[in-house]
Amino acid sequence: MFKELDPILHSQLRLAVMSLLISVKEADFTFIKEKTNSTAGNLSVQVQKLKDVGYMEVTKQFKDNYPLTTCKITPKGIAAFESYVKALQEYLQVGK
Amino acid sequence: MSEKKQLTEQESLQLITEMIQKAKASHFHENGTSAILWGSVIGFCGVFTFFKMHFGWNTGSFDVWLLALIAIIPQVFISIRERRQRVVKTDMEAAMGAIWMVYGLSIFALIFYFNVIGGQTESLLRGDGMEMMMKNLQTGEISHLYPFAPSQGSLLLMLYGIPTLTTGIARKFRPMIVGGIACYILFTISCFTASKYDFLMNGIAGVLNWLVPGLILRSRYLKGKTC
Repeated sequence: MFKELDPILHSQLRLAVMSLLISVKEADFTFIKEKTNSTAGNLSVQVQKLKDVGYMEVTKQFKDNYPLTTCKITPKGIAAFESYVKALQEYLQVGK
Repeated sequence: MSEKKQLTEQESLQLITEMIQKAKASHFHENGTSAILWGSVIGFCGVFTFFKMHFGWNTGSFDVWLLALIAIIPQVFISIRERRQRVVKTDMEAAMGAIWMVYGLSIFALIFYFNVIGGQTESLLRGDGMEMMMKNLQTGEISHLYPFAPSQGSLLLMLYGIPTLTTGIARKFRPMIVGGIACYILFTISCFTASKYDFLMNGIAGVLNWLVPGLILRSRYLKGKTC
């Protein structure tokens, strides 16, 4: 029996964001936006979804009078990502 | 990139690899400004001092090594600017930052040590009613000797603090930060005390620096094991 793929992670933009954050300590919203080639609006919505399920921590502050949003993956997010990758590997092994 | 597109397993894996590669490519932020600054300043001071001693240049009371102290001012501005420009921070960068921060602190501690120990050796000897003299074997002239008895206990205290403070800052583990700072405080005090007290401070450092963080880590480990 295959493990069901986490629907939160099994979406292009959310998976891209989580993949970026898995290898860094924290990243600015602008950095994520640039690397994922997404729009600010769409990214905001997806980041909020990841935050709501506890996969991501979002800090909002001001730097030189400009708002600065910093995103960081949580231990729960790391566990979910690892589990997602493991499930993917299982699917792909069977497909071979 | 959209959230509506349905991904196949193959596409998912490809996307993960691509994003990890993109993040990795953005890891290198160090532009070399700090290294160039300190390389130039220390290089100049060292070579200048060599020529001064070799050719007997008279520079009066001017100490060229003061430039190293002045160089801290641009370094502060460079660090602030680099921090402002940073859009991503990795665990590796956090660890490297901690290493360089503790290294800077240790350099200052060592300079402090070099400046204090000589005077303290003399005053501790005076306290015991002693003074060191040296005799010129050719002229028979006896003059005062300014002793420098290395305080091994102090140096050990500083060394104890380096890895603990670095790990504490990098891991944001407060007991280790406290233990590391305690070592530097004890190091400072030990520069003014006799060896007997240095041993006592070594003991205190052992407790604060390793035993307390170790017990906390142990209890967390055991708690995690039972969960």
